[in-house]
Parts: sequence; C-alpha cells; structure tokens
Amino acid sequence: MRWPSALRRTPFRLTLLFLALFTTAASALLLYVYFASRSEAAARAESGIRREMDSLTAIYRERGPEALNAELIDRTSKGGNYLYLLTDAQGQPGTGNVNESPITELRGPETWETFRLSAADADGRVARRAAMGVEVRMAGGESLFVGEDIGDNEAYLNRLSLILWGAAGIVFLLGLGGGLLVSRQVDGALGRLNAVVDAVRGGDLKQRVQVRGAGDELDELGENLNAMLDRLEQSMAAIRHAGDAIAHDLRSPLNRMRGRLEIAMIDAEAGRADGREALSQALDETDELLKTFNTVLSIARLQASSGPPDPSDFDAAELAFDMSEFYQPLAEDTAIEFSAEIQTGLIVHANRAFLAQALANLIDNAVKFTPQGGAVMLRARRRSSGEVEYSVTDTGPGVDEADRERILERFVRLDSSRSESGAGLGLSLVQAVAETHGGRVEVSEGPGVVDGSGPGLRVALVLPPA
Amino acid sequence: MRILIVEDDQDASATMRRGLEEAGHDCVAAPDGAYGLEEAHKGGFDVYVVDRMMPRLDGVGMVETLRREGDQTPVLFLSALGEVEDRVVGLKAGADDYLVKPYALAELLARVEALARRRETGSVQTVLKVGDLEMDLISRSVTRAGQDIDLQPREFQLLEFLMRNAGQSVTRTMLLEKVWEYHFDPQTNVIDVHISRLRSKIDKGFDRAMLQTVRGAGYRLEA
Repeated sequence: MRWPSALRRTPFRLTLLFLALFTTAASALLLYVYFASRSEAAARAESGIRREMDSLTAIYRERGPEALNAELIDRTSKGGNYLYLLTDAQGQPGTGNVNESPITELRGPETWETFRLSAADADGRVARRAAMGVEVRMAGGESLFVGEDIGDNEAYLNRLSLILWGAAGIVFLLGLGGGLLVSRQVDGALGRLNAVVDAVRGGDLKQRVQVRGAGDELDELGENLNAMLDRLEQSMAAIRHAGDAIAHDLRSPLNRMRGRLEIAMIDAEAGRADGREALSQALDETDELLKTFNTVLSIARLQASSGPPDPSDFDAAELAFDMSEFYQPLAEDTAIEFSAEIQTGLIVHANRAFLAQALANLIDNAVKFTPQGGAVMLRARRRSSGEVEYSVTDTGPGVDEADRERILERFVRLDSSRSESGAGLGLSLVQAVAETHGGRVEVSEGPGVVDGSGPGLRVALVLPPA
Repeated sequence: MRILIVEDDQDASATMRRGLEEAGHDCVAAPDGAYGLEEAHKGGFDVYVVDRMMPRLDGVGMVETLRREGDQTPVLFLSALGEVEDRVVGLKAGADDYLVKPYALAELLARVEALARRRETGSVQTVLKVGDLEMDLISRSVTRAGQDIDLQPREFQLLEFLMRNAGQSVTRTMLLEKVWEYHFDPQTNVIDVHISRLRSKIDKGFDRAMLQTVRGAGYRLEA
C-alpha cells in the first residue's frame, strides 16, 4: 500500500481528528495543572510570610522596638527561608538579612509585592530568583519587611510543565503511529471488500468476501455483502429460468401457427381454400400469445418493484363483494354453488387493480377445475394477527401435497390440467401480487373427499394490515 | 366522422387508418406530437387517437397542451406499456380513454366510436330510449314496450352503457372497464354470462332480439 493514498483514507483522517481533539484536551489540562500549582505555591508562600509578619508585629506591639530588634537578630542568625529588614523612622535600613527593602514605596498600612532577587548559589553563579514579600509600617514610624525566596517553587513548576509537555508529545507520537497501523488494517479489509465488488461488477457473481471471524462491523458488512450476492445470484438464475420457460412456452404455439399458415398458403395457391379460416385462427392464437406475454411482463414488473405500484387505502371486503357478484352468474351457469363469506371493514393499503386481478385468477381457477354440482367459496376475513386474508376454496380434484408449492411457479401446469386452456401463469401472478404487497400465498387442501369428489383446493392470498 | 391519428410507428398508423377508413371514417395522420398539435389546431376532428411514446412531443405533452388551450375533443390514448401507472398518467393528462397495444382493430373502432358518440350526447339525459326500450335514470326503472323489466343494480349499469352506445359495437374489455371498472383479462367467459342474463331479461318474450352478439368484436344493442 502507498502511504500518500493512506493519508487520504477515512481511518487515518479519523485518527488525526481524535489526535487533534486529544491534544487540545491535554493542553487544557496541562495549563490548568500549571496555573493551579502556581497559585497554590503563591498562596502557601503568602500565608507563611503573613504568619512570620504577624508574630513579629505582636512582639513590637507588646514589648516594643527593642524586643523586635532582638528577635530579628535572633531569627536572621538562625538562618531560614525568610528575609527580614527593619527600617527606622528616618528611612535608614537597620537589622535584617537584606541590605535594602525591595519594596520602595509603601501604599497603605500593608504593601505586598513580588520581585526578583539577586542571589549567588553554592557555585557562585548569580541568579535572579523569584521572591515575594510584604512591608508594614509600625506604630513608631519604623517599617518592617518580611519576604521569602520562592525560586524553588518556580523551578518546580517549570520542571512540571516540561514533564507534562513531554508526556503530551509521547501520546501524540504513539497515537499517530497507532492510527496509521489501524488505518492500514481497516484499509486492507475494505480493500478486500472492494476487490469483491469490483469482480462482481465485472460479471463474476461467484466471488464472496472472506469473513475474518472478528465479529466486527467489517465482518458484518462482508456477511451482508455475501447475502446480497446470494440473493442476486438467485434472482439471476430465476430470470434465466423464466427466460427459458417463456421461450419454451412461446415457441411451440409460434411453430404451430407457422405450420398452419404455411399449409393455408399452399391451399390458397392451389385454389383449395381462401385462407380466411387459417387467418382467423392465427389471429386468435396471436391474441393468446400476447396475453401470455403481457402476463409474464406484469409478473416480472411486480417482482422487480419494491412495493405495490400506485397503492391506495380501500376496503378489501368491498372488492370481495364486487368479485362475488361478478362471478356468481358464471358459477351458476356451470351448476357450481358459489358462496361468499365476507367480513366487513378490511382496510388494506394496496393496488386495487392488481388485487382484483389476483382474486379473479383465483376464482377463475376454482370455477375451471370444479366439476358440475361442486361448490366454490370466497372468503375475506381479518386474521387474529391483523393480516387480511382472501381465500377461495373449491371442491375440485385438488392438488397433491407434493405439487402445491410448484403450482405457484411460472408456466407450471400439472399433467391433470393439460387439457384446460391457459399458460399456467394465473397463480404465479397471484403470487407476484401477494409478494409485492408484502404478503404471501398459501395453498392447502379443500374440504376433503365428499361423495366421490374432492378433496378440493384452498388458495389463500394473505396481505399485511394497512 | 373525422379522426386525427398521432402515431410515430408508420406501420401501426397505416393499419389504424385502414381499419378506421374501412368503417367509413375520415382519417388524418401525424407522425409526432408537434405535427399532431398543428393538425389539431386546424380543427374539425371528432376524436384524437394519440400514441404515448413519440419523438419531439410525446402523447402526454400533446394532450396536456390541447386541454390547456381549451380543446375538449375526446382523446383515445394508446400505449405499449399497459401498466396501471401508465393508464393513470394518460387519464390525468386529459385523455378520455386508454387502449393498450397491441389491440384488435375492432376494439379500437368500438372505442373511437363510443368516444365520438359520447360527445354528441353531451346534454344530461334523464331518460334513455332505444327502440321500444326505455330507461328512466331518476326512478331507475326499465320498460320494454311498456312492460316493466326488473334489473339488478349491475345489470342496470350494463344496460345503461349498452343504451348509451346503442347501434355501436362494444367489446368485452370495454364492458369490463366501464361497467365493472376492472382492468384485467378474465380467463373465463364471465362477461358473456352477464350479457346472456341481461338478454334473457330484455329480449325474452319479444320477437326481435335487441342485444346482439357481434362476431370477433363483442355486443351491440340494436333499436
């Protein structure tokens, strides 16, 4: 993999983004630690100085200037961290361990100041160290300065901030390196996914993503991609199968028609017939072929659409009433007892025309396969699951259990029905209509064998609630 | 009557023309929607037959333009696509009827004549009369030669449609679409059964049968 391209990759960009966020947060934290430490050190120094000053002013108040002087001599000679200087009323520096007060101007009874102090360390190097102090005017006109060298505090703070920045630098470098590693790895996994997609786009539907078994979202993506490819492969196979079936089913009637027209042509040339009969037959056959063709097209379109075309909310019961009224006379004419059991208020969200067509196909089939004296029943009801069910039950010969799923397939005509007209598409269309509405078709046995006929067939079209 | 055929497929256009002229109609053909508009603007047509898919200006655009201009001449829309959505698009554009290709000439002729006729009888009628058959649309009663005929609601609608198109052939598909509002091909002869029921009610006991079967086309109510 080339690094420059890696820099454009999403995982690396995310790494950089998080790094930037982290660096900002770390800087804020470090600044806080720095300033908090500094103000804490200053507060500690101030309270020490104040305690010192308070004890000295108490001595002055209770025992007078001489006692203070003696105390100062005592304290400076003991050594310690504090700086003292007693200045007399005339402004002459007196007792103390500094030569002059760093505080040159007194503002009010108490004046606080921070300043730099020149001091030589053990090696004789002069350093300007940080210090702070307070000067207080006494009752007798003298002024007392007490201060403290806080250079150590400052050095500590400087060291602290150096350590903190160093830590931030290490975190940044580790994050950057880790980000690049992660980005390379994710990139590799995505690259494998991309390779599969490229291969599929090139026409190789057999390619599958190798799932690493890590259970992460990349694996999930891989599994989904594989599932999608499985579905795609199935659809392609189904389309090929349908194409073959269409070719097969249209070829024989076309051949038949061609043969008949050829004979009619010979007859007409020989003056034996004027060919009108043959032409009218050919026209009828063309109509049948076109009908088949249109049905196949409708099924294909329904299967390709993601939902019902042009849907509306309407009462499925009303459609069932209409349909039963429409088919009642036909059934009566063929001496079939037709009845309907329809619940009211079955609102569905569907394409009315396709649903009507599906119902018509179911009733047509039932009437076609039920012998005289039989019965056909149309039911429309709401199941306890809320689904709306249309079912048509007949008392015809029925369909063997083994064949029940098969009769929904395109162009499947059972041997027992070869003598009937039709291309074997009626139930396939019902199935396609059901599926495009998110429903299904259920095929089961009818009422059973009664008086030597039966067992009949029950086909149900089940739709999800609106 | 005068019919304007707007169709880009020359063969289809010629076949249509042959069929319509054979039935005694005058035809003018235009190869696309733009020419179709030009011809339509000249006026004097009883029906426009308009194909949906055409170069330059398609059928939907042409019909929309005509309707915007206030031309209320009936339009029969033709389309090779026959899906529900296409029918809706055609009717929304302002077409009066819709026919899916391929169609039988008899079907085209029946629909064109029905459209032209509907225009002639534009005024609202409350009583329809065909020969000695009378239909009162207000009281919803039917008599033949003064004799009451008892019809179911759907039979009444069926007869009303036949009477409004009396003397003309109407196809089974037209009946299915206009009377029942279904758009599919029944596998069985269900329409014929309804017609024969109606026939037994209006023709039984009379010497002359009014409801006739037209071979290869459908049915016709004759005075």
